[in-house]
Amino acid sequence: MKELIEELKNEIIEVLNLEGMTPADIDENAPLFGEGLGLDSIDALELIVLLEKNYGIKLNNANEGKEIFKSVTVMAEYIAAHRTK
Amino acid sequence: MERIVVTGTGIITSLGMGKAVTLENLQSERRAIGTLQHLHTKHTDIPAGEVPYSDDEMRELLGIAADKKITRTSLLGRVALKEALAEAHLQTASDKRVAFINGNTVGGMEKSERFYHHFLNDNERNDYIALHDCGACTDLIAEEYGGKFELITTISTACSSAANAIILGANLIREGKADIAVVGGTECLSLFHLNGFNSLMILDNEPCRPFDAERHGLNLGEGAAYIVIEGESTAARRGIAPLCQLSGYGNACDAFHQTATSPNGEGAYRAMRQALASSGLTPDDIDYINAHGTGTGNNDLCEGIAMMRIFGDQMPPVSSTKSYTGHTTSAAGGVESVISILALQHQFIPANIGFKTPIAEHNFRPVGHVVKDAALQHVLTNSFGFGGNDSSCIFSTLDTAKQASDVKQSGSKSRISTGDAYIRAISQISVQQPLNDEWFEHPIMPAQPYNESIEPDYKPYFSPIAARRMGKLLKRAVATAVSTLQKACVPTDGTAQLDAVITGTGLGCIDSTEKFLTAMLDNDEECLPPTHFMQSTHNTIGSQVALHLKCHGYNCTYSHRGTSFDSSLFDALAQIRLGLIHNALVGGQDEMTPAYFDMLGKIGYWKKDDVSPDTLRKADSPGSFSGSCSLNMFVTDAPDSESLCRIDGMDLLNKPTPDELREHVKQLIANAGLTPDDVPYLMLGLSGDKENDAVYRAFSTDILPQKNILWYKHIFGESFCSSAFGVYAAALCLHRNTVPAHLFYGKNYSKALPKHILVYNHFHNIDHSLLLLSQC
Repeated sequence: MKELIEELKNEIIEVLNLEGMTPADIDENAPLFGEGLGLDSIDALELIVLLEKNYGIKLNNANEGKEIFKSVTVMAEYIAAHRTK
Repeated sequence: MERIVVTGTGIITSLGMGKAVTLENLQSERRAIGTLQHLHTKHTDIPAGEVPYSDDEMRELLGIAADKKITRTSLLGRVALKEALAEAHLQTASDKRVAFINGNTVGGMEKSERFYHHFLNDNERNDYIALHDCGACTDLIAEEYGGKFELITTISTACSSAANAIILGANLIREGKADIAVVGGTECLSLFHLNGFNSLMILDNEPCRPFDAERHGLNLGEGAAYIVIEGESTAARRGIAPLCQLSGYGNACDAFHQTATSPNGEGAYRAMRQALASSGLTPDDIDYINAHGTGTGNNDLCEGIAMMRIFGDQMPPVSSTKSYTGHTTSAAGGVESVISILALQHQFIPANIGFKTPIAEHNFRPVGHVVKDAALQHVLTNSFGFGGNDSSCIFSTLDTAKQASDVKQSGSKSRISTGDAYIRAISQISVQQPLNDEWFEHPIMPAQPYNESIEPDYKPYFSPIAARRMGKLLKRAVATAVSTLQKACVPTDGTAQLDAVITGTGLGCIDSTEKFLTAMLDNDEECLPPTHFMQSTHNTIGSQVALHLKCHGYNCTYSHRGTSFDSSLFDALAQIRLGLIHNALVGGQDEMTPAYFDMLGKIGYWKKDDVSPDTLRKADSPGSFSGSCSLNMFVTDAPDSESLCRIDGMDLLNKPTPDELREHVKQLIANAGLTPDDVPYLMLGLSGDKENDAVYRAFSTDILPQKNILWYKHIFGESFCSSAFGVYAAALCLHRNTVPAHLFYGKNYSKALPKHILVYNHFHNIDHSLLLLSQC
């Protein structure tokens, strides 16, 4: 899990173009949206693309992301349970 | 103030071709959303409102030769334009000055996405490279007119493009720049925007259900629609019986988010409020609202809340006719205006098909079924675009008791406008040192055909987190906007009264467009990043500037090739003269990418070898060198000690004859109380291109002879918005009362003081602009 969390942090920084940030800057238990990193609905869509592209998980409704993207840890747990690649 | 009347309408959508079939289908509640037949996508499960004609069928109907290069967007436009012109009795040349203002976003993308690999790798489809942009699409449509349009431009504010075309047309008639305006928009379905909307996860896999609690998104549609508007007296002199009147309109910016609408629908609220104020009507006068109503969760909720803020518990009947046609994006404002006009003419209310359950937060239910024998006098129609470009128009019957009062912009100060305009500050990012005027004394002389801009440090302008979804051009646009306002001593935190943000861009953020297109083609329409799609719409630039400055004022984007910036300035000046705004941030924004540079190189845009001012002066071969343009200027109706220059007048002309051009120059100078001898300098867009420079040389010998010729493209390079640098260079010469040697095109340097400078720009001898600038 620890490896997956680290991998995810790097992927998030890349797909969301978070210039100047390192994995250490992201608290894996902090909320990604609202407070925390302050991401928004478009970032959520980018993360949905990330899930599909890198882990073969396809979400059909953007609202499903709300639960999954609560934090990097929650996201990693979801990926571990549902990944197809 | 004279009433503006509608004298012609034309329409084509999935409902069919022409008003008769459109009316029949509206009244019989026939929804025209189904499986795609003409657009070949792997997403066959996504329904859409596709026009039931192939390109070949439309060519044949229009009598267009099979070998003529044309795009579907233009074919749709020509079908609708033909109908509108016929009804307005404008098929042949008119002695009236007729403007054509087209709303469009996708342009020739439907061909570009098919031929992109040819564009990059071989020379088989080069003819379509020049048809990619929105302005090219407009020009192809204009050919349908038997006469000659006085001026042509293209507005690209995504889904409100056509509505904003209507607004500009009305303002130009009021200002006296045109007698008649043909206004509206066109858009065909493309893989690019079908996949783009899909990446935003806002497409419904079922026919859309606007304003329903269970709605799941929108269906895309395609089509075109135009209306012909003119002053009532012009129509009377032409012996045309008007169909109805355009009694009001409003444009505001939500300034909330790149794609989402604010929870209380601020932009929508302001646009509707302004439309009401300008028509002299009160909310209870509105008999029907043709809503934007896309069917997305966000739009319908917030639009409804904005309507409730205005109409309270006295909500007029509401319907979204996108439930019939799908969302025709750039054409929607035209399509829904024609539908609103049909509703007025035939006294019925179209249905909001598919509605079952109201949205919990709403106090109204949309019209479930067609209402016949409705007593309609005033119809409000909404068109909202990405980035919060929100516009509303009101159409009214001719026999209404209330008369349109003077147009007023809500929120504007009571100060009386004299109509004069001044440039107070300019800031740029280009191949020269950024955000300063250092080039005026120490220009960098680019030597390569391809040149990157010099990027400033962006840290003072936005945080890294804010920059995550800002491509290069967006960063430049925001930085030059902030820097311009700082130079003009205008606060940039939203506390200042900034009345308008008007942006010209020939191509928009092409870097993002290319990224999305490449991903779509390479990944077979799967796993596409929404950020690149979002940034590909032209109006994302002006929206981003407004978002950063928290500016809810007028917001519009022009995308008409080499007169994109000129069109923006023209709009700002028209509104200042009409007293609608007191100031505006006017921008020219274009970037270049290596791939697009190569494509344009194939059609003669660039020199093959290194350049210098001397080789460019020879102008013995096609092309110039490429330089990106990011420039903002603050234009205001009041001079102060900081003002760079006064703007005495401006003309935008389509294909003028030499005689017409001469006459316009004469008038422009005479209107400023000057004679040609008072204007010692010409600022010309000479670039080294053989054909273009011949037009400029002819201007300086035949149109306004014996002038000192200045140029600027040898320093800034060529881009669709590079004319902005001509205005910039002239403004600095006037302000500093000197002309630096490097700006002289000829070898003889004049000692004449720059009291007045005429700035002349043309794009391929098609669109021309004249601007007279003077010392304050």
